[in-house]
Amino acid sequence: MRSSDPWRPRRPRTLAAAAVLALAAPTLAACGSDGPGGGGDTLEVWVYQDGSSTIQQEFVDRFNETSDIDIELTQIPGESYQDRMRTAMGTPNAPDVFFNWGGGSISDFVAEDMLVDLTPYFDDDPEFQDAFIPTILDAGAVEGRYYGVPMRGVQPVILFYNRTLFGEAGLEAPATWDDFLTAVDTFQRDDITPVVLGGADIWPNMMWLEYLLDRQGGSEVFDRIRNGDASAWGDPAMLYAAETVVELVDSGAFGNDFRSVATTNDGAPTFFASGEAAMHLMGSWEYSNQLTNQPEFAENDLAWTTFPTLPDGVGDPSSVVGNPTNYWSVNSQVEGERLDAAVEFLKLHGDEDYAQALIDNGDIPTTSNAVDLIGSSPNPEFAQFQYDMVENAASFTLSWDQALPASQSAPMIDAIDQLFSGQLSAQEFVDSMQEL
Amino acid sequence: MTSTIDKRPPRLADDGPRAERPRARRPFRLPRANYPGGLAALIWLGIVVVPLYVLIVSTIQTRQSYLENGPLSIPDEITFDAYRTVLEGDFPRYLLNTLVVTVACAAIAVTLAVTVAYSVVRTRSRLSRRVFQLFLLGLAIPSQAVIIPVYLIITELQLYDTLLAIILPTAAFSLPVGVLILVGTMRDIDEELYESMALDGASQVRMLLQLVVPVSRAGISTVAVFSALNAWNGFLFPLILTQSPETRVLTLGLYDFVGEFRTDIPSLLAAVVLSIVPIFTAYLFARRQLINGLMGVGGR
Amino acid sequence: MKPQTSKAPRAGRPGIAWAIPGVLFFAFFAAAPMGIVAYLSFTDWDGLSDPSWTGLDNWTRLWEDDGMRNAVWLSLLLTALTWLTQTPITLLLGVWAAGRQRNRAVLSAVFFLPLLASSVALALLWRTIFDPNFGLAADIADWFDLESADLLGSSRGAFAAILFVTGWQFIPFHMLIYQGGARQIPRSFYDAASIDGAGTVRQFFHITLPQLRNTIVTSTVLMVVGALTYFDTVLILTRGGPGDATEIVPYLMYDTGFAAFDLGYASAIACALVVVATTASLLLVRLTGFTRMRSTREGM
Repeated sequence: MRSSDPWRPRRPRTLAAAAVLALAAPTLAACGSDGPGGGGDTLEVWVYQDGSSTIQQEFVDRFNETSDIDIELTQIPGESYQDRMRTAMGTPNAPDVFFNWGGGSISDFVAEDMLVDLTPYFDDDPEFQDAFIPTILDAGAVEGRYYGVPMRGVQPVILFYNRTLFGEAGLEAPATWDDFLTAVDTFQRDDITPVVLGGADIWPNMMWLEYLLDRQGGSEVFDRIRNGDASAWGDPAMLYAAETVVELVDSGAFGNDFRSVATTNDGAPTFFASGEAAMHLMGSWEYSNQLTNQPEFAENDLAWTTFPTLPDGVGDPSSVVGNPTNYWSVNSQVEGERLDAAVEFLKLHGDEDYAQALIDNGDIPTTSNAVDLIGSSPNPEFAQFQYDMVENAASFTLSWDQALPASQSAPMIDAIDQLFSGQLSAQEFVDSMQEL
Repeated sequence: MTSTIDKRPPRLADDGPRAERPRARRPFRLPRANYPGGLAALIWLGIVVVPLYVLIVSTIQTRQSYLENGPLSIPDEITFDAYRTVLEGDFPRYLLNTLVVTVACAAIAVTLAVTVAYSVVRTRSRLSRRVFQLFLLGLAIPSQAVIIPVYLIITELQLYDTLLAIILPTAAFSLPVGVLILVGTMRDIDEELYESMALDGASQVRMLLQLVVPVSRAGISTVAVFSALNAWNGFLFPLILTQSPETRVLTLGLYDFVGEFRTDIPSLLAAVVLSIVPIFTAYLFARRQLINGLMGVGGR
Repeated sequence: MKPQTSKAPRAGRPGIAWAIPGVLFFAFFAAAPMGIVAYLSFTDWDGLSDPSWTGLDNWTRLWEDDGMRNAVWLSLLLTALTWLTQTPITLLLGVWAAGRQRNRAVLSAVFFLPLLASSVALALLWRTIFDPNFGLAADIADWFDLESADLLGSSRGAFAAILFVTGWQFIPFHMLIYQGGARQIPRSFYDAASIDGAGTVRQFFHITLPQLRNTIVTSTVLMVVGALTYFDTVLILTRGGPGDATEIVPYLMYDTGFAAFDLGYASAIACALVVVATTASLLLVRLTGFTRMRSTREGM
């Protein structure tokens, strides 16, 4: 290449370019200390979009009628609320108030001082504190401090079944593991998928492990894991749970297609409602979901029971797994008047109005007055069952993926998927989890 | 540019002294019917058409009918409710966002690619060679690989959850191909044309606008379409860099419809169809430019 | 930035300043992130607190990680199978489409349709088709009396589904490239071959294929780089599952970065991805003559 550039020296231009880059770099570093997006006179509130989020919309609208500071409710649909909320929390545009599952789903934020400690607000307002069932409030706490206000119904995991199919087969709701296996055999013979499982989402698979572990070894095993003792994954009860799951998969109890059926897009519930599957282990929201989408099925066929007992299990048969409820948490960037408004909004959720709205939706609120409202539920029978189940539970274990921080729950979900798809044996699953 | 075609006559293994075959009737015609190709084309036709048929038929029935009869059967009752559901929802807003992103990306990519390419082609400097090499190397950076630092940069710039968060990196990643295409086009401009303009005392800006840009029209429209398609179909940047419905673009909107419409497959697929319609319309009117844009790199 | 003009008798040339906006823009959103991702790969970062330097930890972990090994294997397998399946099909279809058969234009237009949709839209379509209870897969399983329609639920099935869907989407693109290449082969070659009595097959192997050498290289490298960076389809169709059966490198990076929020380790994965993609792209630069284009200019 000829250097035939007669009219200018080269160096200054290079320097100019370097200078521009140098100028740009601090811009990068300097920004990013401002408050959450929205700012100004609004509060940005994020909620997981599903059948219940209309209630939140309704109460946000009601709040906005009287408040100077308006709330903007963003409903985040899709399979990845948790991931996307976490992504946004790392940015200056994080939501001011957001839906979460308590526990591990917020522990990272608490560690970084990103959430408002709500304990003083409960202390100052005993009426507000007493409005909620204490164990539920505690379930959302991190290290003894409250960071969340319960905002949805209790969500125990329940064994739903199709009472018509059970009736035709001459079966009762399974109380013991033997009953359950008999039912699986019977339905398989009749060409009915014994258990529907939305395995594409993986967390429905996890529910089976959760209950099997709880019934076999008691709730202490997962408590140890939750408290950071990874060796508890090696507990014999965990191995038993994993082995049992593998047996169920291999025997075809979940049908042949469960790995590509999703729950989040209603594939599994719709299949369950079609009458081609007999049982569905799912969170209590399954009921209101069916009531909305397949009302005939919900009214005529849908029935429910607790998870069966295991022959050698030492766990308390009254124990429950699932989500105690969901919580609102407040971003610590929210201050002054906006924080006052946020707290005012949160306090709405202890009111009887809100509890009644949940009841009308088929949910059981986590407020102390819930028991008095159950009678007005669209299905008092199911409401009472759910209430008693939670009320009498020896323990309520939070869903594993929500109880553990993201750095552990994501690999755990992957490992569970591998266990259910036969890529890991029960022993390999237990081994790999201990290494986390 | 250097021709990629080998100009030497092809060497055929000797066929022996077979009788001379009659020449093809028309001069521009493959001499023989390409039967294997035709057969493959027919098979491929089936592979392409069946899913498209499923796509369309699924959208003109009710959810109930779809769940009961499956995707193949023609519904007893044709209804466009699914389309109404989609259009009455947030779809128009997503479409508008996508249009803004698409136009902005194309504008940025074209403007910058033109100036860079002009400088690369005309500047006599070792630096311009470096510039060209930078963009050649840039071709090798997959956008997936830098999503984490881009997330960091966008966050630090306070642009998270804005349309700019999508536009800026998307446009940047369209630049290397744009520069490559335009350097190729501009190199073919005759030196004499510049000289005659120089005689008229034209400035560099005038030369660019009155000579280079008009002559490179084809290349520029290719770059515009290429970057526009890139922006239109982009998914990873919107997925990580935006959040709220106000900034949701079509691709992300479609992804979210899965959670929103759930087993309302007719509505979900109606959204899919509607997302294709704008590009399809563009295809009808500007087929050649679209194909060239698609072939952006490949066509060269 | 006012460009300089020259009073020299020859036409003036633009300064390198013309390239600066484009270079800065590209550097900021594409090149600088490359540097940042390299830096982050030596840190532990959860996206909330500041990254903390951990030296080579991520890299030693990368080297020993079974998940990464599996992802690299799957990516390479997917790339190889993509090339092996798509090249013969696109070559056959492309050469056929370059011919002058009747119906060719109509069929080509139909083949083109999948290209108009985004990967997201197509992945959603295929996801509903593969649904084992309500999709086309259920119908097909019924016809053949298969026990299961669980394509996405079996390791091989899910992998094959990714291969098929991405093929369905991109085959028309490569077909266009081959069509363009085949069109440029001078007719006289075929005429000469016809006179020598060479049949279609013979002509294909002795004229078409050698003449398309450069097109094949271009298409190959585009396929390779494309297959190494598939993401949208995997996210929507299989989410890397079942188990880790479709957890290819870009998805593993996304999962590590934006589900487990182990952003430092994800950065190391991203770096590894760039190394592989760059190697492939350098091949592109080497073999297709992008640099030759430059070197011919040097003689000016």
